[in-house]
Amino acid sequence: MSTPGDGIPVQDTAFVSEQKRRAAEGGLNLKPSSRMPAPGSPEPRRAVGAAPAARIEDAVFSCRDVSVLYADKPGLSNVSIDIARQQVLAVIGPSGCGKSTFLRCLNRMNDTIAGARVTGSILLEGRDILGKEQDVAQLRAQVGMVFQKPNPFPKSIFENVAYGPRIHGLARGSADLDDIVCASLRRAGLWNEVKDRLSRPGTSLSGGQQQRLCIARTIAVQPEVILMDEPCSALDPVATARIEDLIDELRASYTIVIVTHSMQQAARVSQRTAYFHLGELIEVGETNRVFTNPRQKLTEDYISGRFG
Amino acid sequence: MTRRRQVRKLGNAVALGLSLLATLIGLACLGAILWTLVARGISGLSVQLFTQMTPPPGGTGGLLNAIYGSLVMSVLGMFIGAPIGILAGTYLAEYGRDARLSSVIRFVNDVLLSAPSIIVGLFVYEVLVVRMGHFSAIAGAVALAIIAIPVMVRTTEDMLRLVPQGMKDASTALGAYPWRTITSIVYPAARSGIVTGLLLAVARVSGETAPLLFTALNNQFWSKDLNAPMANLPVVIFQFALSPYKDWQQLAWSGALLITLAILLLSVIARLIISALPGGRSQ
Repeated sequence: MSTPGDGIPVQDTAFVSEQKRRAAEGGLNLKPSSRMPAPGSPEPRRAVGAAPAARIEDAVFSCRDVSVLYADKPGLSNVSIDIARQQVLAVIGPSGCGKSTFLRCLNRMNDTIAGARVTGSILLEGRDILGKEQDVAQLRAQVGMVFQKPNPFPKSIFENVAYGPRIHGLARGSADLDDIVCASLRRAGLWNEVKDRLSRPGTSLSGGQQQRLCIARTIAVQPEVILMDEPCSALDPVATARIEDLIDELRASYTIVIVTHSMQQAARVSQRTAYFHLGELIEVGETNRVFTNPRQKLTEDYISGRFG
Repeated sequence: MTRRRQVRKLGNAVALGLSLLATLIGLACLGAILWTLVARGISGLSVQLFTQMTPPPGGTGGLLNAIYGSLVMSVLGMFIGAPIGILAGTYLAEYGRDARLSSVIRFVNDVLLSAPSIIVGLFVYEVLVVRMGHFSAIAGAVALAIIAIPVMVRTTEDMLRLVPQGMKDASTALGAYPWRTITSIVYPAARSGIVTGLLLAVARVSGETAPLLFTALNNQFWSKDLNAPMANLPVVIFQFALSPYKDWQQLAWSGALLITLAILLLSVIARLIISALPGGRSQ
């Protein structure tokens, strides 16, 4: 199947994005210029028409041709994706497919890895966050992150939540700080369990509670987006269910991007799903559609458990 | 079959016996040293050891000025050395993790760590004592600081690296700059480890003789002047032990016992803190 832009040498970027838009609308593939083919794989999987850069009106994030090199090894190749406001985007794919790498681009946590280089453009509310002028601390206040392993600070429950507001100077006085901590713990569904022991160490909580504490800590900074990197993989099923319920509630106020190994979880919590494979975005679309009617062979194989 | 097994059993027994023997020899040496120290030193332990100055030959006296001098110079040395050591260790552990500069610093630090202390003494003699024109407690403290720094760099880096990366990432992801993460999260998490390193550095420094020989020298009298030579236990022990006077030799033994006990105490405290670490730090 040939696509409109195929084979035509184009310099005009406006033209290219117009092509992409049309391709996306028509469900057609615009073959991305794969400057960095994933090692060991020829090129067959781009043959069928994919529409990775499905565009969204009023997107919170729009990523165009985002690539990541780890010490010259590709971690992510030309990913173009929009992230919709107040929705949950699930990012799935086999280990090493670049889903965490992608997530860490969105709050520039890749900066902390020596030798990592990010190219392309990532617009957050229309502002390029990869630029030198971007203050990373301010970005990370706007885009919070919850990690795989619950990692409370060796401080009290209260201080864990108060840490972010303190560094960003969000509270006017201690009463205000109390309010922020209380509200954050409530939103994270932890308040009733910890309200009588706010001065106990955060590590005294159970794993699931610790993870909700980490979510409360993230919420306390009043972010717009919350990134979650396999937030339930270290938790038991009951704690996982609680976190999933929480994600569903948080969706009303925040945009959430969740990386997960569990396809059931992706199906349960997300409205859109993106499938990554060997550093490339293969397919993105409504969760229902992706799981019931994947357009790509690779997505289908992964979802039906043929690998991964 | 059984024969081979017997041979293997025999081999095992021989290896076990040899390593046990080696251990016993080591322990016996240590035991003998401690025993001699206690046997010779304990008879000299008295109140006047802590209340009187070092005596002239033939007179009676104590070690007060030497004990005071050792304390002052060790503490002063740590005041100079600890901040430098801790900050350098912080740089290695947090800022320059894998950079080439860090591996150079690490190598140089290891060289300094194993450098003979007499060289440190000579260095400070050249740089400070010669220029000032006289021996002084300050020069002594600087020499001790130079010995303490590599110890502190090493222990600080090791202890900071024990702090889980996830904790640092969490702070970074909340929008904290590295320095904030270090002071608010990493230092508190590694506090007992850093204190342990401090104690070990004090223990290391308080027994050093050679660097003080060229810098603080010695003083027969009570002196609080940091700009003048100052008595200290190691040099007093060195001089008194070499003297032909019986009472001086006795004081040297007592001083040696004192210093050993002090270092032992510091090491025990450091060990206690280390053994309490896993509970104090959350994983």
